[in-house]
Amino acid sequence: MGPTCQAVLSPSPRRPAPLQPPESRPPLPSPRRPPPLPPINRAPSASTCSFDLRRTTDPEVLAAMANTLRLYLTCIRNTLEAAMCLQNFPCQEVERHNKPEVELKTSPELLLNPVLICRNEAEKCLIETSINSIRISMKVKQADELENILAKKFLRFLSMRAEAFQVLRRKPVQGYDISFLITNYHCEDMHKHKLIDFIVQFMEDIDKEISELKLSVNTRGRLVATEFLKQFI
Amino acid sequence: MAATAAVAIHQFAECITCHAWSPDLSMIAFCPNNNEVHIYKFFTDKWEKLHVLSKHDQIVSGIDWSKSSNKIVTVSHDRNSYVWTQERADWVPTLVILKLNRAALCVQWSPKENKFAVGSGAKSVCICYYEQENNWWISKVIRKRHESSVTSLAWHPNNIYLATTSTDGKCRVFSTFIKGVDTRGSQSSTSTDSKFGEQIAQLDLSSTWAFGVRWSPSGKTLAFAGHNSMIYFIDEVESAPAAQNLALRDLPLRDVLFVSERTVIGVGFDCNPMIFVADETGLWSFVRFLDERKATPSTSKASQLSEALGKLYGQSKQGTSSDAVEPSKPRGGAHENCITCIVPLRKGSDGTTRRFSTSGLDGKIVVWDLENDVSFAK
Repeated sequence: MGPTCQAVLSPSPRRPAPLQPPESRPPLPSPRRPPPLPPINRAPSASTCSFDLRRTTDPEVLAAMANTLRLYLTCIRNTLEAAMCLQNFPCQEVERHNKPEVELKTSPELLLNPVLICRNEAEKCLIETSINSIRISMKVKQADELENILAKKFLRFLSMRAEAFQVLRRKPVQGYDISFLITNYHCEDMHKHKLIDFIVQFMEDIDKEISELKLSVNTRGRLVATEFLKQFI
Repeated sequence: MAATAAVAIHQFAECITCHAWSPDLSMIAFCPNNNEVHIYKFFTDKWEKLHVLSKHDQIVSGIDWSKSSNKIVTVSHDRNSYVWTQERADWVPTLVILKLNRAALCVQWSPKENKFAVGSGAKSVCICYYEQENNWWISKVIRKRHESSVTSLAWHPNNIYLATTSTDGKCRVFSTFIKGVDTRGSQSSTSTDSKFGEQIAQLDLSSTWAFGVRWSPSGKTLAFAGHNSMIYFIDEVESAPAAQNLALRDLPLRDVLFVSERTVIGVGFDCNPMIFVADETGLWSFVRFLDERKATPSTSKASQLSEALGKLYGQSKQGTSSDAVEPSKPRGGAHENCITCIVPLRKGSDGTTRRFSTSGLDGKIVVWDLENDVSFAK
């Protein structure tokens, strides 16, 4: 999944593609490519640039990008389907205790191999499974400093209200932005497919949420600056 | 298919850990995922709660109701076990000191019902028997054999051999001969000479946790399930074990049941019983799911179509909405959550089980009848 995603992601609207003739562009994986543009656009370098910018709003490219997210989420969904086979299991080490084994990690035979699903370096998802609990940790895309701050604050806001979400872990696992902890009790109370839907929906929405926050911060910044600078006119 | 295999579905609780039927099948005992055991009786048209056995103080993990002596044995995560006997209208508990320091996970009466076995999280198995002179249940422990919790156990029809599965992935067979309780070699000659706790076989087949061990009615074949979505069939366990591994396409199994010498029903995380059949040469294979899934009208086609249309008309908004992964659909079967327990009900004329019941985390007890199933009754 890695190399194709990278190749498709390169002409993204946030990171404009480098100036290069369209012939050297990595081919899109989609079979339904738009018909080649008329040859007028191809000749000089200036028009190539405009062509590139125009290409990024092309629905084909956007759909391809969306498809990589879809691949990533489908992969996570399928892994969760297989991993979320939990059962009540009392602690082997401490009398009369029943604790999520994925957190304690006292008996290595009760843990399964963790699965790491990466979309790219910045976006990944770690799924750790044990006999009675599963821990899902994710790293959210942070392109710049503002997104970094926003993601940190937003996810901290959610983590502090972990009780309301039931499956949210109060503290993310080291190296990740947010973690979920699902135990066999959650699987008994709630439908498994709904739980998986929730996780996948959450991952889908978090990027949207952060870019919306970023937009509103920028808008507000501009407004404040305009208001502030008015007094000097 | 003319009729579905599920003949009765009862929603008794939110979640059921295990269940057992009375000898005449008029009563059912189950644990509604807490420290109690509820006993329901069927009165002409509906089930009514007769008794609540609340003596345990943690979740009850195993129930077995003896067929001939009408005793119920329950085990719980609180490390204790009780044998309940009916005195007039009430059920009277007798505490069994298991000598365990961890939770008890499963229990089963031996075929002759003079012993019962308890598997535990203390990596050991207890064999309990009644001592007449002291009026007391004695427990003998098989220690230092298992490397992890004992998840399931099964008695061989000879009343001596006990098969166990454990979360260390191994299936083991022990001799549980107890002097004074068992009599040596009347029907079974040389094979039952071994001492108490002697390991007859260790089957190291599964790479991960093993569950749901069962003997075939004759005791010739042993079956158990692994959490890696495998089911294992072992012939001639005592002398020269010959194993068959069968990998499944679906989610792992939790429990299995031999309905006849050549047919096995497996239940588990797929919420739907699976049928396995051995052919004449003894080769096992997966046949089909017992509960035919109703084809739910799929919405995925429409969304794919609209997405394609969106691409066609160059609507960039459609493109972004297409990244939503279709939500998974609920299953249209009798069970909606993992099935944890399968119990045989009625034996047919030829010694094969025709009816059995399953219970799961969705709180339903479903009774299945194989005779209703046209394709199955050959």
